[in-house]
Amino acid sequence: MSIQNLNTFDPFADAIKGADDDVQDGLVHIRIQQRNGRKTLTTVQGLSAEYDLKKIVRSCKKEFACNGTVIEHPEYGEVLQLQGDQRENICQWLTKVGLAKSDQLKVHGF
Amino acid sequence: MDGEDFDPTLLKKKKKKKTFDLDAALGLDDGSKKEETKEVANEDATAANEIDDNLDLESFGKKKKKKKKAINLDDLEGALPKVEGEETQGEEKTGESMDADEGADVDAPAADYTYDELLKRIFSIILDKNPEMAAGRKPKFVMRPPQVLRVGTKKTSFANFLDIARTLHRLPKHLLDFLLAELGTSGSLDGNQQLIIKGRFQPKQIENVLRRYIKEYVTCHTCRSPETILQKDTRIFFLQCESCGSRCSVASIKSGFQAVTGKRAAIRAKTT
Ligand SMILES: [Zn+2]
Repeated sequence: MSIQNLNTFDPFADAIKGADDDVQDGLVHIRIQQRNGRKTLTTVQGLSAEYDLKKIVRSCKKEFACNGTVIEHPEYGEVLQLQGDQRENICQWLTKVGLAKSDQLKVHGF
Repeated sequence: MDGEDFDPTLLKKKKKKKTFDLDAALGLDDGSKKEETKEVANEDATAANEIDDNLDLESFGKKKKKKKKAINLDDLEGALPKVEGEETQGEEKTGESMDADEGADVDAPAADYTYDELLKRIFSIILDKNPEMAAGRKPKFVMRPPQVLRVGTKKTSFANFLDIARTLHRLPKHLLDFLLAELGTSGSLDGNQQLIIKGRFQPKQIENVLRRYIKEYVTCHTCRSPETILQKDTRIFFLQCESCGSRCSVASIKSGFQAVTGKRAAIRAKTT
């Protein structure tokens, strides 16, 4: 969750951010949203466009036994969307397969 | 602190005397208390001891004769309520060390009221009489837990939202933006100044989000002091620390990508 807050403050954080051509900060934002009832949805925004998101979603669906899709967003690029609260799963998986380091992951939500 | 350990008869007497003495004691060392809880504890302890001396010394601590327990219990509980309430930190520290001398010079009543009980009692009295001390005692804000209630089936009310924003010395708008962005939902203040959030949320969950807010936007990233000011410079927020003077940029609040849930017609919530 808030692990990033445990990191010491990096004076060059802004510089790094600026250098990134991404819409945002080069972080992978993992969010959760409530749908109707108890249902939730996990979104993963900020994965590098170099990766084949379609492939990623395919293996995620299998791995977490949930449905998922890739959404093309004009501002945020391709966003991964998974059913249910997959925040833990996706974090572990992304680090395991080496798509992102744990300090690049920013988990939002409650 | 159950009634059973007390000798009710003693307690009642002690109580009366004690309140008087304590009041006096309070009046005396009022000033010093503000700074150092430890000192307070010591003084209080001695005060308590003095009081105990005034009491009947016939019955010994070891004896657990509770003569009229049944009858007096009710009175006792009625008389005691404050003691249970507050917990203070300073008391624990000094507790053990003081126990020793108390046992030495005070005999009988000591066993009826444990040291901790006495201490708790005096602290609650102190706090009662000097409400402003509550703030000085802990430099960190003592934040009341969020009051979170379900409204209907799909909304949540966060009743003391404004209170909390005030406690944190942050603009409600800023806290609101963060909350909504983190929760991935929408919401607004209603007529009663409570925040109505779309979706169901447990108090615990709201608390988690608040905690993250405090970490990022309230406490200094360098020294953890909560005495900070959040300033907006061009488009970036900076957290300026009043204690250590550090100044660092904080993450801007963005709700980022929001999946379309429910009605497709619903328009995406604002981005900050
Ligand atoms: Zn500081």
